[in-house]
Amino acid sequence: MSSTTAEAGARHAATPPARKGRARLSPLERAERRLGLMMLAPAVLLLCAVVVYPIVELVTTSLRFEHLAQPWMGTPFVGLDNFARAMSDEIFWSSTLNTVIYIVVTVPGAVLVGLGLALLANQPFKIKWPVRLGLLLPWALPLVFTGLIFRWFFEFNQGIVNNALMLVGMSPRQWLSDPFLAFVATCIAIVWKSSSFVALVLLAGLQTIPRSLYEAAEIDGAGRWQQFVEITLPMLRPAIVVALIFRTITAIQTFDIPYAMTNGGPGHSTETLAMYIHKTTIDFLDLGYGSALAVLMFAVSVVATSGYLRYTKRDPRKEA
Amino acid sequence: MKKTLVTALLGAALSMAATGDLMAQTTLRIFTGGQQRPDVMKQIVDVYMQRNPGVKVEVEVGGATSEQQQQYLNTVLASRDSTLDVVLIDVIRPAQWAAAQWAEPLDSYLGAEKDATMARYVAAYREANIVNGKVIALPYFADAQFLYYRKDLFEKHGVQPPKTWTELRDGLKKIMDAEKNPNLSGFQTAGAPIEGTVCTYLVPLWELGGQLTDASGKLTLTGETARKPFDLWGDLKSSGVLPSNIAEIVTDRMRQNYQAGNLISTMNWGYVWNRVENDADSVVKGKTGVVPMPAYEAGKSATCIGGWQLAVTAFSKNKAEAVKLVRFLSSPEVSKMQAILASHMPVFPEVYTDPEVLKANPWFKDALPVVQTARSRPVTPRYNEVSEIIRTNMNAFLAGTKTADAALSDMQSRLTPIFK
Repeated sequence: MSSTTAEAGARHAATPPARKGRARLSPLERAERRLGLMMLAPAVLLLCAVVVYPIVELVTTSLRFEHLAQPWMGTPFVGLDNFARAMSDEIFWSSTLNTVIYIVVTVPGAVLVGLGLALLANQPFKIKWPVRLGLLLPWALPLVFTGLIFRWFFEFNQGIVNNALMLVGMSPRQWLSDPFLAFVATCIAIVWKSSSFVALVLLAGLQTIPRSLYEAAEIDGAGRWQQFVEITLPMLRPAIVVALIFRTITAIQTFDIPYAMTNGGPGHSTETLAMYIHKTTIDFLDLGYGSALAVLMFAVSVVATSGYLRYTKRDPRKEA
Repeated sequence: MKKTLVTALLGAALSMAATGDLMAQTTLRIFTGGQQRPDVMKQIVDVYMQRNPGVKVEVEVGGATSEQQQQYLNTVLASRDSTLDVVLIDVIRPAQWAAAQWAEPLDSYLGAEKDATMARYVAAYREANIVNGKVIALPYFADAQFLYYRKDLFEKHGVQPPKTWTELRDGLKKIMDAEKNPNLSGFQTAGAPIEGTVCTYLVPLWELGGQLTDASGKLTLTGETARKPFDLWGDLKSSGVLPSNIAEIVTDRMRQNYQAGNLISTMNWGYVWNRVENDADSVVKGKTGVVPMPAYEAGKSATCIGGWQLAVTAFSKNKAEAVKLVRFLSSPEVSKMQAILASHMPVFPEVYTDPEVLKANPWFKDALPVVQTARSRPVTPRYNEVSEIIRTNMNAFLAGTKTADAALSDMQSRLTPIFK
């Protein structure tokens, strides 16, 4: 597939099409164009290899029965059977619902906490590096380590959280084995981990707001809150949208932190769609069904992202 | 350009000739789990390398739990990777490995010795490793679940080692009430969504005479018998003997809790003994008793068969050498070494009565019958799915997310299509 694209490009360059605009190209321009296409080819080939090929492979696998634990069954084409199975699979729906709840809770959660952190880091501290380092550390930490660390925080006997509760005279809670509390605990870990990225994006946004706007507002008698609402927030909107997009895409794929903290438990109550896909393919070796689930998740991602993208495309024109 | 290539090749050939020994050397890579005492395996492998100077054995250590290890192995083997020559697999896996054609059948390597070799093992392990008439792996060590209990506390409060679940509950309640230590749990079994939790369901089921499937492989999980294991754990939980956080308890956590003096008794595997008696941080050295699991009726005890097997991967490039290593690791000599160094239960009946083995593990003298009668978890190529269904529902029940009826009916409805 990739080679045909490149060939088609080369053919275009070699035989100038009949269209008027292109017929006027001078030999030099044509050579330039050919060079340009040639230089593009490696990138196109690479993209085909790492993006197009896997997606095509995923979709074709999703239309087959392929179960590595049952190799004698072969890999027959089954049409949309795998998708039909997903529609009547309770765990598919519960893990999708869990993913949606994770998105609804942790995306705004991370943006709110991240905004707070960014505002804090934007204060004129004398020594800036500890603040910046504090912002960067959670972001630099691998997700699964975050999960493991928080699992120990919320552990029943030795966990620091229950320890703190007992110090103030409250009884210890089953953070990881009560369905509601397990959800709360994983959300806290996710927000902690992702808000620093949001904060970095917003901090960059904050620093582009000219000081003169605040000075003018002060002269006009605007209070701090008014300055925040009338200047900071509107000026920060593009940065907030970028943060929201990235955070939503990663939230759709939520995997590592609940995997390390609860492994989806108790029961299936903290299992996300990404975890269910992993379980189906890597544990159960049911590649056909796992691929169908992945296609469904991909579709959800595309819808969510395109929604945001349309919003960002429209926005700058309006602001202008 | 050509010249440089030639010189480079010449140079390489010369340096290879200089290290002629290295050329003859075979490197084998063996995969083991973090909880199967890789340190002990390294000691054993060192002995092998001393005796076979032409062979270098590298030990790769994987995840702590059976399913973490298998997740990694699934990706390695599904891609037909040849880096691993020998893999230590859980007793529940040979059927799956045979079906997926990941294990090199050992029949042709054993040749005429096949029957004689296999006859020496404890019967359960001979059967576990032969799938459809083919030898898929050889046993490394045996295992079964026992009741570990604090002998000192039982004696102090005049409680006899329990033979029934009722005795266990009442005895532990008595001890807990008298000790008045809020950190002291009565009893723990695996409750987190992990492989061990499958046994938490199956052990009481078997004790009641129940089975997951019949001889033809059809699901037979019905009626009161299928429900009673839930009732048992529910009763132990509500009486406070089982801790309230039982749904987050994994196998090695119980060993840690017990060793720290925070747990009176636990259903656990053979390896615990060695750690409890030898670890520097163990506060319960010399205070432990080991007996068969309690039952509903005295004498009708059951236990899950455990243990680890050595398979040669179908993708290994050194199969003959790998089989040699496996035969060494699956020998009475190594069985004895493991018993002494790690309290790993032997796979040969005669090793149980070896004086040195008994000196290190006095309780082995009564352990052989337990291992011999230990039961197999269902044998199916789709065991991973079966395990997930049982452990997640048991876990949800222990966490209080599902009632016994809901957990059981979910189990039944998801298991039915697998065992149809």
